[in-house]
Amino acid sequence: MHNLITNQATAREHSLSSGVSGIVPPEHFLGFGLGLRTDHFQDVLATKPNIDWFEVVSENFMVDGGKPKHYLHAIRELYPMVMHGVGLSIGSTDPLNMQYLRKLKVLVNELQPEWISDHLCWTGVNQTNSHDLLPLPYNEEALNHVCDRVNQVQDFLGRPILLENLSSYITYKESEMSEWDFFNQVARRSGCEILLDINNIYVSARNHDFKSQDYLDGIDKDKVKQFHLAGHTDYGNYVIDTHDHPVSDPVWDLYKQALKRFGWISTMIERDDNIPPLAELLAEVETARNIAYSTLGQLETLPQWERTT
Amino acid sequence: MDKLPLASLQQKLINYLIDDDPIVTHTIMEQITDHGNITRDVRLNIYKNAYHVRLKETIENDHEMLGFFLGDDLFDQMVLGYINAYPSDNTSLRHFADKLPLFLASHPPFNGHPIISEIAHFERLLMIAFDAANADRFTRQVLSNTPHEQWPELIFRFHPSVQIANFNYNSVEAWQSLKQEQSPEPAIKQNSIWLLWRNNDRLTQFRSLPPQEKYLIDMILNGANFADLCDFLLQEIEEDQASQVAFNYLLTWIDDGILIQKAFTQPK
Repeated sequence: MHNLITNQATAREHSLSSGVSGIVPPEHFLGFGLGLRTDHFQDVLATKPNIDWFEVVSENFMVDGGKPKHYLHAIRELYPMVMHGVGLSIGSTDPLNMQYLRKLKVLVNELQPEWISDHLCWTGVNQTNSHDLLPLPYNEEALNHVCDRVNQVQDFLGRPILLENLSSYITYKESEMSEWDFFNQVARRSGCEILLDINNIYVSARNHDFKSQDYLDGIDKDKVKQFHLAGHTDYGNYVIDTHDHPVSDPVWDLYKQALKRFGWISTMIERDDNIPPLAELLAEVETARNIAYSTLGQLETLPQWERTT
Repeated sequence: MDKLPLASLQQKLINYLIDDDPIVTHTIMEQITDHGNITRDVRLNIYKNAYHVRLKETIENDHEMLGFFLGDDLFDQMVLGYINAYPSDNTSLRHFADKLPLFLASHPPFNGHPIISEIAHFERLLMIAFDAANADRFTRQVLSNTPHEQWPELIFRFHPSVQIANFNYNSVEAWQSLKQEQSPEPAIKQNSIWLLWRNNDRLTQFRSLPPQEKYLIDMILNGANFADLCDFLLQEIEEDQASQVAFNYLLTWIDDGILIQKAFTQPK
């Protein structure tokens, strides 16, 4: 068992005040964050950037020790964190991977994140892993299957999880409902919450010819707890979710629409490839913050020196 | 048409990713809707391409020096062969290439040059040392706080990152040359033993192990205490030097950071 981090930053200490305008964000609103990447560990510790929280990829830290964990713990002492997984494979017809879940639970105990998330997808079956986020058919069988497994995972972890919509490129003939209808029913039936990836909605809308707004309108307002914003690669006929570019203008526009529907939702920038200097990503986080303020109203942030850890 | 169970649909898509057989492709194609400007073939191929790119990048990241040693063409041949021979069966990509040394030792043309498999093995050991469990180290301070009369009974434990590996070729030397952006010497058969670990600064480190030191380390692994090590050295060197040599070994291990604090005394 790893030592728990005794001096962890909490969201409350970093909370954004409602200012003079009487705006009160919900309790779970963390502010504006960034996906923490190895390239930026040292910069984050050296510069302690003025950012509200970080998201970490759970699997990257399911190791016993060494440098990555050392940095993770040091950064956790300074910032609130959420954990985001890619390996749960909630939709797979294989039995739940209990070894994976145990490692996840150890990491949760270690980091004490605000929440944990994974994707509404499957990654492999019959002992073969694609290491990709593969779409499910949207039908009753898959719905029952996923809800069952979400319940098992939530029981094991002792807390609700968030599931995220993915970018997809195929539609199965077996699908009987829209993705958002399926997603929303999963959340309602299983009690899980929703991490809405705005870029993924845009990418899938382009690839499957649906309206992004229909997706937003099809999701219950009170289920969404986090937004992801990321870049993609546009090939004209189709779009691939590459996470190697800045957030595109159409995605910023869709973010505004999402803010109008869902209100104050913890928002972060997710970059996984072609990773630029930290300052560039922090500027993107500020863009998200400014769009939210201009859409929903200004919040006051606590100055850096007032932060306690 | 009868409804296809979820498990069958998932198996068909996975089969498509790992198998280029046109019948397998046709089988999943039947399950995909055709709509918009992109064909089903293009849509499915996005997943197949991503599968190969992701696994190739994983091997590239894990085995950078091996990549330089092989050159692009042989590296690509290795990647394709490995992906086909060992589809990933682990949740974590970190373990995807665990069997690469085995693959290289058993598949032509790579098995004709055993140094290739050894370089891959060395790189995997470095990875194991990199993120092995943490443990408080045995320090000079801890030693000096231990009463002298207890030293003979001290039993040492190694840091979880410590690896010991035998090589039959000049594989580690070749790896070092490549790391320094120099051409490696031609492969020659030579036996050597290497110690790898993560040091006090959390950096992965390695050095060759002389036979005497290797023997002492094996003794520790088998539960020997400090007095046992001294007894062994008495058979090897002059009596008046044995305890000093043993002490020097101990200080080297402490300064390297390969011993952990949970050394303990156990009277025999």
